[in-house]
Formats: sequence, C-alpha cells, structure tokens
Amino acid sequence: MTAVLERRKALRRKDRGRRRVAALMLAPAVIHLVWWIGIPVVSTFVLAFLQYDIFAGTAEWVGFDNFARIFSDDVWNASIWHTLVYTFFTVPVAMVIAAVVAVLLNVKMRARAWYRAAFFLPHVTATVAIALVWMWMFEPRIGLFNALLEMVGVTGPAWLADPDWAMTSVIVVSIWKGIGVKMLIYLAALQSIPHELYEAADLDGASGPRKFFSITLPLLKPATFFVFVVSMIDAFQVFDQVYILTPDGGPANSTTVMTYEIYQAAFGRFDISTASAQSVVLFGFLMVLTVISRRLTGKDDSHVSS
Amino acid sequence: MRTAAAAVLAVAVLASGCGGPAPSSGQGTGGEPQGEISLVTPIFEGSDGQRVLEEQLAAFRKQYPKVRVRPDYTNYAKLNEKLTTSMVSGRAYDVMLLGIGWVPPFAGRLLADLGMDRAELAKTYSPRAVDAGVHDGKVYALPVMLDMRFGIYRKDLFAAAGITAPPRTFAELRDHARRLTVRDASGKLQRAGMDVLSTDPRQVYETLLWAAGGDLFTPDGKVAFNSPNAVRGLELMTDLIRTDRALDIGFTKVGDTSIPIITDRAAMALGHNNLWLEIQAQRPELIAQDKIGTFVITDERPAMFQGGTLASMSASGKNKPAALALVKFLASADASLAASSQRGNVPAVRSLESSSYVKENAFVRFAMSNMDSAFSEGGVPGWLNIRNDFKAAIESALLGQKSPKEALDELAARAATQVSGR
Repeated sequence: MTAVLERRKALRRKDRGRRRVAALMLAPAVIHLVWWIGIPVVSTFVLAFLQYDIFAGTAEWVGFDNFARIFSDDVWNASIWHTLVYTFFTVPVAMVIAAVVAVLLNVKMRARAWYRAAFFLPHVTATVAIALVWMWMFEPRIGLFNALLEMVGVTGPAWLADPDWAMTSVIVVSIWKGIGVKMLIYLAALQSIPHELYEAADLDGASGPRKFFSITLPLLKPATFFVFVVSMIDAFQVFDQVYILTPDGGPANSTTVMTYEIYQAAFGRFDISTASAQSVVLFGFLMVLTVISRRLTGKDDSHVSS
Repeated sequence: MRTAAAAVLAVAVLASGCGGPAPSSGQGTGGEPQGEISLVTPIFEGSDGQRVLEEQLAAFRKQYPKVRVRPDYTNYAKLNEKLTTSMVSGRAYDVMLLGIGWVPPFAGRLLADLGMDRAELAKTYSPRAVDAGVHDGKVYALPVMLDMRFGIYRKDLFAAAGITAPPRTFAELRDHARRLTVRDASGKLQRAGMDVLSTDPRQVYETLLWAAGGDLFTPDGKVAFNSPNAVRGLELMTDLIRTDRALDIGFTKVGDTSIPIITDRAAMALGHNNLWLEIQAQRPELIAQDKIGTFVITDERPAMFQGGTLASMSASGKNKPAALALVKFLASADASLAASSQRGNVPAVRSLESSSYVKENAFVRFAMSNMDSAFSEGGVPGWLNIRNDFKAAIESALLGQKSPKEALDELAARAATQVSGR
C-alpha cells in the first residue's frame, strides 16, 4: 500500500515537473503573443468604442458612434468595395493559374526545378522591388505594355493614372506575385496523391483529362480550401503593392482599400478611434470568412479521412 | 467600462512606449541648458542629410557642451507615424521639425508656446515665414527653410512659339499653354504646354486658388475652398487638361525621374524651387544658355505656394531650456543655410539673401524676392484631417468624373465637420 502511494507521489512530482518545464518552454511564445497580439487586439476593440484624443491623452465612451461615422463615409465604403473586388479577382484567378502550373510542373521534364524556382521567386522577392519594376512596365510613355500595344497599333492607357485601369493593374501584379506560394502548396498536395490510383486508372483505360478530373482535382480539394482561406485573408490585408503602385488611394480614390484607409486614419489624421473601428470591421470580415471556410474545410477533411 | 478602457489604454501606452523616443534627461540648471533631448527631423534624409545635421549638431555642442541631442531621422511621408507613436506612448520628442500645416493642429497641445514676439521675429525672418509658426497670436515654431512653388518656363520654347513674356492672367496662361503644346500626327502628346501634374495636385490647386483670389478658409476657420474664386483655380487645371488638351493625364506624375520642363517635354510648369538643383545636375546647359525663366502665377493677385520646415518644441518636454536652445539654433542663419543648401530650398533668414548660395541659385533668389506673394496652406486645427482628401477630389475633376464645383462642394461638405478638429 505504502509502495503504491509512494509511486503515486513520485508520479505527481514528475507530472508537476513536466508541467513546469512545459510552462517554461511555452512562456516566451505566450508572452510574445500576449504582448504583440493580445494587448493590441484588446486595445483596438476598446478604442473602437472610445473617442480617444491623441493630443490630450483623454478618452470618452461613445458606443457605436465611430462605426456609424465610418459607414457614412463614402471613401471607407468605397474601400470596402475595392477590397472585395480585389479579392474576388486575385484569389480565384491566381488559384486556377497556380493549380495549372503545379500540374504542369509535377510531370518529369528538363529543368523542372528551375521552372519551379522561377514561379516561386516573386513570392520571396520584396514587394517594393516588384512594384517598382511593374511601375516601369506600366509607364504610359516608355513602359513595356504600351510599347507592345503600340506595335499592334493600339494606344495604351495610363495604366496607374487611369481610374478604369488602376485597380486592374494592381490585381495583375498581385496575381503574378501570388502564384508561387499557391503553386508550392498544390505541388505538395499533388505529390501526396497515391500513384496507385493513376496506375489503376491507366489499367481501366482512363484518358489524361479523365484522370485529372476524377482523381487529381477531387484529391486537391483540401489543399484548395487551405489555399482559398489563406489567400482570402491575404487579399483582405493587401496594402504594400497598392500603396506603392497607386499612392494615396490611386487616381480619384479608385484603388483605396480597407488597410490603406485604416493607415490614413491612424497616421494621416491622428484619429486612432476611427482607425480602430475600421480595424474591427476588417477583423469582422476576416472572422466571417475564416469561419465559413473552416466549416467547409472541416467537412472536407472529415470526408477525406473517413 | 471607463475604468476598463483606461486600463487598456494604460497598458497600450506602456506597450507602445517600448519603441518611443528617449525621455529628456534632467532639467536645465541655472542659466546653462544641459541634459539629453530628442529631435525628430524629416528633412535631413540619406547619408548626405545625416552628415549635414551631424555637422550642425557638432556646432550646437560647441555652444552648449552639456546638451546631448539624439536625432531621429525620417521623411515627411513618415513623419506623422513618428509623431503618432511618440504621442501615444506619452514620450513626445523634445524638438520637432515640422511642416507648415502641422502648427495649427498641434499648437498648444503637442507644441509649446515659444514665448517670442512675432514683430521681433519679422526683423530676422520673412513675415510670411514667421506667420507660418504663429497660431492665435502665439509663436509655436520658428522657420528653418521654405519650399516654394511657382511658375517655371522655357525661354527658348517661348521664343520659338513667338511668345515674348510669361503669362500675367489665367487667360494668358491658357493661351500660352495651347500655343506651346505639341502633339504628333496621331495626336500623341509630345510636349505639354503647361505641366501641372509633376507637383502635388493639392499644392497646384492651392496656388491657383490663391492666384484667383480665393482662400482655403475664412478668417474664422470656415471652409472657403469651394467659393467661386477658389473653384476657378480647379477650373483652370481642368481646362488645361480637358478643354485645351495642353497636358494628358499620365503624361507625367509626382516624383517622375524624367521632369518634363527639363527634358523639353513641357514648356511651362508649376514647380518646386529645388528643380534648380535638378537642372544643374541633368542639363546645366539650360542654365548656362539662359533658357530657364520663372514667374509668379497671377490672376486676381500674384501667388506662390509656401511650404517649409519649422522648428518647434514639445509642450510636455522635460528639458525645455535645452529644447529651446536647439530650436533657436536650428532656425539660426548658419543652420538654415546648411539645411537649405542640402535640399535646394529657400532659407528662412532674410540676411541670407546676400549669401553666395542664394546668389548662385536663381530659383531661390526669385522666391526670396517674391515672398510678399507667398501663401501657406492649413491654418485651422483640423487641417491634417482633410489635407489628404484634396487629391482625390481634384483628380475626380481632372478625370471628368465631376465638375470642379461638384468636386470641391463634396470635399467641403466632408471637410466641414472635421476642420474644427476633434
């Protein structure tokens, strides 16, 4: 009996020791998360309901007034619309291109690694550098695109100065930049598809397209959902390429997006409360998208695993 | 709830304080300033700018050996970020170099009253430059250097077009621009008659607004930039592009490396005084052959845009004697000359008119001799709230989406609630 109790005590001591070690090892990450994410997130939510005077350092509770004000602002509403348009075009288009590129680069071919690296390169290149190069290509007078159009007798537009083309130009750059990482995820997913399935299909005499639509595409579904969620969140948070390609919201605010308006409110107008309310709205968008996508992904995961 | 909010704010302030500027160390004792002070500067950019400031601070240390200055370098695009974080963290910079429009919003809140006499300062500086640092009769900042925008033209292109003098009215300006515009057979613009796109659209519009006899705000702080006279300023910009086709949208833009007036792609422009340095670097023959001329944009009255950098000190600084000493030093003749020479700008100190730098720079000389026509933007506490909204409104008119009046009326409605400053 005594021996059993002693063993239990020893186990409890060991357990406590393990917990202490675990807590110690987790502490840096927890402190980091609380300090850099937890406190700012909570502060943002609180500030969204206050009228915070940055100069006087005073704060007054105003309830939903900040939200009412931002939604009566045409520029903010336009920025939501632009963000949706940007997301609607960049996410699916880049996903389709990435999937096609991944399938093409999954077959044995010469210099395959080089091609993969070439497609991935934009993702690891600084956005500022990319945007500057594209700015030159979009340059209406001496840029590449208008030079090519001129060769076929077409006068190209002022891509980044024309409100009809500015957002399109930003979307094109973003699609190009976003292909690499999506392709990488698709490549990993493709390589995890068992070869036996294709061998069985071959024995059954399935054609290439049939194999793609009946094996490859269904089994890429979990990866597709993952890419979709990550890309949506990324698209809603777009800032740098828009800011560099079309500074100050683009011609007549035609490319202003939610993140830019938040930045403007906080650092252009010193209006931290408005910026916080706008951030909460952006957070809401991302939360809804993530929950919807998570549910879809969850269902798909369970289907695959069963 | 208020307690909770205050607690969160306190934690946020504590958290953000990690990255803020250092607090001032110690009070000045007796008559001699001492201790450490922080300085934020948007004008000494790059290694050249840093070298100039370091030289100036070395000279300052000779005068005040017990004061140590910690400079924080930034540029105007990022200045507000620095100021916001410093204010939120409760650790404002002791000395701040700011733009002209910054003074009314910050006066008495972030900026300390320097306790100086405007009339006395006007003996040293141009009165218009002094006024840029004055709010409600108190001096909050001293001028260091000025950024002027005025008309620049190509004498050789004027002569080729048979034009003998720069324009004296808006009607003449449009007429000159039409005659100087060159398009090829397909209609593609080869040379703009008047370039109003290489300079910030807000600053161009403001210059034209003042020349048309308008004002941004009434003396009691109400929006006035949609008055009939003010609208004429934007109408001129719109007419040049949409009616006279003296310029195409996209032909050039702010920050373009190829500046049309220098590269023969524009015959007239509304430009910045530092273009002189660009001309010297890119095409010195234009100066040697006397092909560059200047004019003040005029219609109802002559008007030049006056921007600039002012030295101010924090209202909450803990070492005000040292901060005030640095403010005075940075606005002194030597420091003003050094800062201006580095950026091709106009020194604020009047005695520098006789300096070799001013004598050798025709644009700076022109600006200094026309200071009576200088107008500054801002003037109301809520200026920073609406300043960035001008660009989109102006562009919507230039693109034909709205008439100049509609664009300015909409902007005025949006601005009316904000100019009083919250």
